[in-house]
Amino acid sequence: MTNLSPFDIQARPNRLLAQALSCVLFVVCIGLYMHTSVERHKENAEDRVVPSGHQLVAGIRSAVLEPAEEDDYIPAESASTWERLRHSMIWKDTASSGGRFFISLALLIPFVVLAVHIGLFPWFGAGFLRFFLFFDKIVALSLLPILFIAFGIDQWSKIALIVIGVAPTMILDVTQMVKAVPQEQIVKAFTLDANNFDVAYRVVFRQVLPQVINSLRLNLKPMMLFLFAGEMIAASDGLAYRIAIMRRHMGMDVILPYVLWVALLLFLIDFSLRVINRRLHPWFQA
Amino acid sequence: MVSGMSTPEMTAGLHLIGEQATRAAAKAKVQAAKSISIEDVSVSYALERSARRCVLENISLEIEEGEFVVLLGETGCGKSTLLRMLLGQERPTAGQISVAGSRVERVDARSGYVPQRYSLFPDRSVLDNLMMGPLTSKFHILGRLRPSYWEARRAVKAEAFRQITHMGLQASDAGKYPYQLSGGMQQRVAIAQALMMKNRVLLMDEAFSALDPSTRSSLQRLLRSVWSETRPTVVFVTHNTAEALFLGTRLIVLARESKDDACGSRVTLDMKLAEGGMTLRTHGQEFLDLVEHVEAVSCGQRLTAPGERRTASDAWGEELGRVEPVRVSPEDGVRQ
Ligand SMILES: Nc1ncnc2c1ncn2[C@@H]1O[C@H](COP(=O)(O)OP(=O)(O)OP(=O)(O)O)[C@@H](O)[C@H]1O
Ligand SMILES: [Mg+2]
Repeated sequence: MTNLSPFDIQARPNRLLAQALSCVLFVVCIGLYMHTSVERHKENAEDRVVPSGHQLVAGIRSAVLEPAEEDDYIPAESASTWERLRHSMIWKDTASSGGRFFISLALLIPFVVLAVHIGLFPWFGAGFLRFFLFFDKIVALSLLPILFIAFGIDQWSKIALIVIGVAPTMILDVTQMVKAVPQEQIVKAFTLDANNFDVAYRVVFRQVLPQVINSLRLNLKPMMLFLFAGEMIAASDGLAYRIAIMRRHMGMDVILPYVLWVALLLFLIDFSLRVINRRLHPWFQA
Repeated sequence: MVSGMSTPEMTAGLHLIGEQATRAAAKAKVQAAKSISIEDVSVSYALERSARRCVLENISLEIEEGEFVVLLGETGCGKSTLLRMLLGQERPTAGQISVAGSRVERVDARSGYVPQRYSLFPDRSVLDNLMMGPLTSKFHILGRLRPSYWEARRAVKAEAFRQITHMGLQASDAGKYPYQLSGGMQQRVAIAQALMMKNRVLLMDEAFSALDPSTRSSLQRLLRSVWSETRPTVVFVTHNTAEALFLGTRLIVLARESKDDACGSRVTLDMKLAEGGMTLRTHGQEFLDLVEHVEAVSCGQRLTAPGERRTASDAWGEELGRVEPVRVSPEDGVRQ
């Protein structure tokens, strides 16, 4: 007999039941939404706050197949679906937000390398650690006005915001990982005639890399948060820009698909990083 | 010190060594082929409020080329600390250490190292672990872009496979990662990894302590046979007296006189052991007596008055028959 008590730590839930249970909250959310939508549409058939399934489909169609309002490109009536997709609102917004996101991701790499040095080389530690400990406490968003002045209001100010927001945390995190590499390993490497850079890159960096990727996975959301903050305040395109614009005229039929789209994108990036990590580092079990 | 060491008959010399005498001994033996020399080394660590904790106090030792030294002592007596100094991981507070003819300043490739834990690189397969030493010593990080790298790699790989079978592992284990190996296999690979460097000095810190008794004894036999092939100088730290008597050709016990922070450990027993390795089975009562004696010394129950000390060792030497006690006192230095 399966123990059904929810407060039994040693319970062994049946697999099927456990999987069904994991779906319940999703179903409840959808159900509640639909209920609210139906109720509101009874009062006002034109309600835009909680769009009906119908309205949502229309919203998604317009986002996926039609260009943004401010765009001067209008595809011909005869244009193929692919052509429409390529000039659609969601494509344009995803491309510009994605570009910012991935450029910042690439810019984080040198900081990770710096962190390895801070954790391993005493002089680097002496020079940088305190600074980043302090810098980490600066609220990145409060620097936004300065960033707008320094980098202009497009692209680079947002990228700078993401990097400034995430890099110090990443650096401190990676420094901790490097320091946690057992001293035995470092000593052993030196007895095997490794030089300082062998130890840094071929022993320590290799060992912390899977953890670094995991730390990056945890930082994906803060990165997206900083990107959204930047885009909502000043931008002419991007996912968050669109959400901010749509909010002005209650375009929930577009906002909701956008929210889910962003979540899906983040989930996919996270998932692929996890798969890459597992493939690349079969020895790392965590 | 004990000339009869190489005779087939088991000869063991017991020296109970006083601190000044050790220093005299160090000076008297400059001409011998020294592999490791520890001169008057003291180590202390700063505690809070400017107090210091003394761990090692005036340690002087000369270790000759090809000796298998086992370092025994109670927990916390500073065995690992002494090994860290030999490796160059830390510097002694006072005194000097030289290994293979030059002073130890930093960790380098002159000695091989087998720690108790984290002895292998977890991100490399067994084969890569073994090849790492010889390859890094020839090709540093960007050196592997050179064409000669691949040729050297092939030679090293052949040698690595030779080591793998030599250590009693299967060739099919070569592709495994350390987490896929049992503790005993990991230590085998770790020893092989150190041997790949063909070092003349091998430092091992409780390398077998985490193993079950049967794996442990098979590794002990392996280590002994590996040692007798090329006769590197080994310093092997252990808690286990039986292991020490089986492995070593020289036994050194560290102990402190009191629990006081100001009082560090000293060498309280330094004796040559039989070449063949002592076990209960081959040496019977003799072995048991020696274990008892060593354990009494290492837990600080040694006899301090010179007279008493002499009687104790003499009585014990008679009992063993073959043990030749060497009495050392501050006045007369080393007597053989
Ligand atoms: N960095 C340090 N700061 C302060 N005290 C230290 C430090 N390193 C070691 N000690 C002290 O030195 C003493 C000896 O430590 P060590 O690890 O050498 O002992 P050990 O003989 O190897 O013991 P075990 O058999 O348990 O491994 C311990 O009492 C420890 O508290
Ligand atoms: Mg220790």
